Amino acid sequence: MSSDKIDQLFDYVQERCLWQFFSRSWDRQENIDGIIRTATDLLTGVDPKRDQPMDRLFYADAKIMVADFRERFPWITAIEPAEVRALMGTLRERIVDLAITRSQNHELSHSIY
Amino acid sequence: MPMVLLECDKDIPEREKHIYLKVDGEDTRDFLPVSNAQTIPGTLSERGCAFCGAKLVIGAVLKDTIQMIHGPIGCAYDTWHTKRYPTDNGHFNMKYVWSTDMKESQIVFGGEKRLEKSINEAFDEMPEIKRMFVYTTCPTALIGDDIKAVAKKVMAARPDVDIFTVECPGFAGVSQSKGHHVLNIGWINDKVGTLEPEITSEYTMNFIGDFNIQGDTQLLQAYWDRLGIQVIAHFTGNGTYDSLRGMHRAQLNVVNCARSSGYIANELKKQYGIPRLDIDSWGFNYMAEGIRKICAFFGIEDRGEALIADEYAKWKGRLDWYKERLKGTRMAIWTGGPRLWHWTKSVEDDLGVEVVAMSSKFGHQEDFEKVIARGRNGTYYIDDGNELEFFEIIDRVRPDVIFTGPRVGELVKKLHIPYVNGHGYHNGPYMGFEGFVNLARDMYNAVHNPLLKLAATDIRGPANATIREAAE
Repeated sequence: MSSDKIDQLFDYVQERCLWQFFSRSWDRQENIDGIIRTATDLLTGVDPKRDQPMDRLFYADAKIMVADFRERFPWITAIEPAEVRALMGTLRERIVDLAITRSQNHELSHSIY
Repeated sequence: MPMVLLECDKDIPEREKHIYLKVDGEDTRDFLPVSNAQTIPGTLSERGCAFCGAKLVIGAVLKDTIQMIHGPIGCAYDTWHTKRYPTDNGHFNMKYVWSTDMKESQIVFGGEKRLEKSINEAFDEMPEIKRMFVYTTCPTALIGDDIKAVAKKVMAARPDVDIFTVECPGFAGVSQSKGHHVLNIGWINDKVGTLEPEITSEYTMNFIGDFNIQGDTQLLQAYWDRLGIQVIAHFTGNGTYDSLRGMHRAQLNVVNCARSSGYIANELKKQYGIPRLDIDSWGFNYMAEGIRKICAFFGIEDRGEALIADEYAKWKGRLDWYKERLKGTRMAIWTGGPRLWHWTKSVEDDLGVEVVAMSSKFGHQEDFEKVIARGRNGTYYIDDGNELEFFEIIDRVRPDVIFTGPRVGELVKKLHIPYVNGHGYHNGPYMGFEGFVNLARDMYNAVHNPLLKLAATDIRGPANATIREAAE
């Protein structure tokens, strides 16, 4: 897996995606997990779940992100599903590291909003 | 190195933790400015107070609600008429201001009777108005006036009225941000769920964190009408008191200003399971993205694409005309907090403008995470900036235009740098497709206006008189 590819996807998420920077760590984790999972489904030809309101929310964010990925990084349409899954897994880890694990935001772990 | 101690701050070195210069290869894991922290003694903060954050920013936007300020008269005047949020019912909120006008005797003997009298007088004077916010202020909080008890007594005597109390005196927090917080949490706990809204569409949402600055809400409402989406409550642009009581029935919360209003969206998700979708409403690209996301949530993508195509056909040519002429313009953004991250990429992508310095009055670290992720290398990111720091930053980055409020704007005009009102706008609305063309037009007019350069020329020639300062 090329780190250049990961960098491209990560830079896109940094620049475009407000969902990684929600108020608390549990909101961020929920968004990152849900949207990356749904985006992975879309990139690998799986029809994502849309039964519950949160599934539809993840779908809305993931759909636009995947469309941009395909337009900006055409290589993503040419790789095998297994590589897509690995790539998206690494992307997820990097977002979690930046937005949660090593975030210096002191408000992330407040128990109330 | 990336945290910056300015020359003017050499006697208050703590300010270094609040000013960041982004360099290549770094991110917010390495450096994140301290923010939403107490202003450091020795710096002349430009922040507002917590009461102002509740009243001026959120409550006073409502078009059908008396805003009773329980305090001295200055608390009323100074939070009235300094924002431009019109309404579609004749701007009721901007025409009137209400105060209990507390004087020394009420401070000594208590102000609850005066508050009760003022509430009744206001309802008697305006019999068509049945809704009211009551705010405590610093002195009435300090003497312990129980505004909730007074409101309850009046509501018992007048069953047709409803009153919401905001107990957020100016000293309650480090900036106006605390007022946003208190009002958000108070409203969800006291009022949401107390009225059932009429549902007129199979698609419903709340639009949260947009205050109809010069018509933003009304411009966006045309999009939602066309898409067939019912906005149950606008929090709070052109909004009504009772519509906000029905927020619990929306299927989706769409959030624009996450700083002032993210709290209520979080609580609506926690308490009622309504998902929160954050979007940017300023900028062509961002607005289109927001519409696409909302439509994807409801499964009405075709309607969204048709709307975007029509709006692009109508406005993109004009935007591009300005882009040609604004490319390479160096912009500074000195506003409250969220507009830093809403605007930095949208002006870059849509107008070719480079944002070289940004300062936030009341943003939290979450806001700095967003703006540093989106912003350019070589740009300054400042928390709670003061005038001397602004002067020094101007020398370092040489902006062509500064988006800020009128007070700082008047200051920078004296340096012959044009400013555009980044809070209340020059000639808005600025949201949506048409709105971003308005923003581009105002920036173009500011940057290319020859007056500021002409004003810098001393027409008296070389033998001009020396003006001695009074203090000399």
